[in-house]
Amino acid sequence: MPEKSMKLIDLKEGQKGIISSIAGGRRVTQRLTDMGLTPGTEVKMVRKGRLCPVEISVRGSNLALGYGVARKILVKVKE
Amino acid sequence: MKKITIALAGNANVGKSVIFNHLTGLHQHIGNWPGKTVERAEGTLFHGDYTIDIIDLPGIYSLSTFSIEELISREYIAKEKPDVVINVIDATNLERNLYFTLQLLELGRPMVVALNQMDLVEKKGICVNRKKLENFLGVPVLPVIATQGKGIHDLVHKAIDLANKGQRIKKINYGKEVEEEIKKLTKSLKKNELNYPKRFLAIKLLEGDEEIEKLIKKVDPKIIKITEKYAKKLETTHGHDRFTVIASERYKVANEIVKDCVTIGICKFKYSDKLHEITTHGILGYLIMILSIISLFYIIFTFGNFFSEILVEYGMGLKLVYEQYFGTGIASNLAWGIIEGGVAGVTIILPYIFPFYFILGILEDSGYLSRIAFLMDRFMHKIGLHGKAFIPLMLGYGCNVPACLGCRIMETYREKLIAVFVSTLIPCAAVTIIILSLVGKYVGFGWVFLLYVINLVIVFILGRIAFRIFPGEPTGLIMEMHSYRMPHLKTVVKQAWFRIREFIYIALPLIIVSSLVIKVLEVTTLSDVMEKLMRPITIDWLGLPSFSGTALIFGVARKELSLVILAARGGTTNFSTILSPIQMIVFSLVTMLYIPCIATIAALVKETGWKKAIFITVFEIIFAIFVGGIAFRLLTW
Repeated sequence: MPEKSMKLIDLKEGQKGIISSIAGGRRVTQRLTDMGLTPGTEVKMVRKGRLCPVEISVRGSNLALGYGVARKILVKVKE
Repeated sequence: MKKITIALAGNANVGKSVIFNHLTGLHQHIGNWPGKTVERAEGTLFHGDYTIDIIDLPGIYSLSTFSIEELISREYIAKEKPDVVINVIDATNLERNLYFTLQLLELGRPMVVALNQMDLVEKKGICVNRKKLENFLGVPVLPVIATQGKGIHDLVHKAIDLANKGQRIKKINYGKEVEEEIKKLTKSLKKNELNYPKRFLAIKLLEGDEEIEKLIKKVDPKIIKITEKYAKKLETTHGHDRFTVIASERYKVANEIVKDCVTIGICKFKYSDKLHEITTHGILGYLIMILSIISLFYIIFTFGNFFSEILVEYGMGLKLVYEQYFGTGIASNLAWGIIEGGVAGVTIILPYIFPFYFILGILEDSGYLSRIAFLMDRFMHKIGLHGKAFIPLMLGYGCNVPACLGCRIMETYREKLIAVFVSTLIPCAAVTIIILSLVGKYVGFGWVFLLYVINLVIVFILGRIAFRIFPGEPTGLIMEMHSYRMPHLKTVVKQAWFRIREFIYIALPLIIVSSLVIKVLEVTTLSDVMEKLMRPITIDWLGLPSFSGTALIFGVARKELSLVILAARGGTTNFSTILSPIQMIVFSLVTMLYIPCIATIAALVKETGWKKAIFITVFEIIFAIFVGGIAFRLLTW
């Protein structure tokens, strides 16, 4: 199946993707990898509101990520 | 008597503090880590022949350098070498917790794992194979239900056992390539005697940990060069930066463990998910948030008003008794000033601040406050902060002192500064009392509400300006969303007490001293002089009566004192006879903004230093007078 690369923020609710990389500074990258968002990890978009940040499911638990953060994470999605 | 030291370590929100409270009960003292503004909780447990010193390390996710908490924790374990580390992990969220466990193992201290929340695990239909987990980690794993006190006794026994016998920590394999580099580096580190275990140093060097690099540079700068070479190699073979490579390897191990030890069955635990969905909903979530905050205030201030009236009556009774014994001479009058300060402190803590922090604690412990942080994130970003900054702001409505100290949760200095600044603009319980007794009683609740809205608008605008003055990209929100749970009463009470204690230690002494100063001013009629000097501001600019000058000045000591002075100087407690509705609104607005009270200034100095504290204070005085004058002109248009 062909894969498409996109930002985590662009996943639709319920859609899954595999993290390919994080395009952020050392601090954010470190924090995110410490929270389990390492390359190759599957993430699922749980919730995406207009006013609030996004909520994702990763490694069996949920994380809230600000928009700016969610924009820095690149994921691969099966088409 | 034998002495043992145990360190409690684990992620945030895993029930570490609950276990700490169970173990130490009343024998605990909270201070700061030397030279740091991070809380250090320490307690003693007397168990048979043992005096066990227990340190509750901050709740963190990693042992890197992301925050001071992480640095403190790893330095403590490596340098102070506690006899045993108890690693508390949340059995319902094993993978992320094990990532931290693996890092603790790298530090090589004897360790026991407390597998907490075993009751929730069952409800969620998860099955954890404890024996397998023990095999993987090479350390004992004990089941615990901290909130019910189950398993804690065994935990202590195991810890004592380990402290006596010692324990060899098994090396966890991080994959062939990484292990090869670790091995080579450990060899080069052989000659150096440092506090940290060699393997830990090697891993941290490969990660590119700045603190460890600094340390090594001092003893053997050559090693840094060698590390660069090894790390480069890892980066090219893995295609990611060195830190990510190591973190990935750890998570790989954690994932394998979870796959092997955990089976997921049918979840019988649905209502908390439903609740989560509703309370973070794009529209409904905000409605619930606004409703719950309004009802929180409503409950606190109706209850508080009722309760404080009773207390004030007792206070008055006390005064009569006092005057009977000591008369009403100058010395006795001054001494009464001291007692009055203490009484006033009590009449604000018991009816208002404690209940407020208690309910806030319930919301926090159940997980609702993090939902509010979630909902408020984008709004807070507009003032250069992220959602979690909302929590100290909420504390500000009780008392600004714990709010200022609560700003420590902010990740960078810049964010802490902005958060501290805006939280001093939040009307505390004392200010709310003034507003309710003037505007609420004589003008109407619509105006009270409007004042609060105006305050929020001002907080927002000034926050944005502060954001402009201290630019920089706000740290993005990265927050765990825990399942809702029943709040643990003891933990909530303790938390509320700790916050109140900040008020008692910092604010109460200052309130008492300044009450004495005020009595001196009164007795020496210096206050009349001050009142005269303030007339251009009070009468000409703000349109307030002359005696409000004294009230405003005395409000610096404690805000609600300005109400007392207003009554004393005006000669009546029926404020409608001495102030017009417009004057009440202007007066309330100015008190809301004009200065953080003396206790808050002290907290500001503690958190930001003298210069910034003075700057914020002076700015707020000028700003409040400015806004008050504008409001006066608009209202009398």
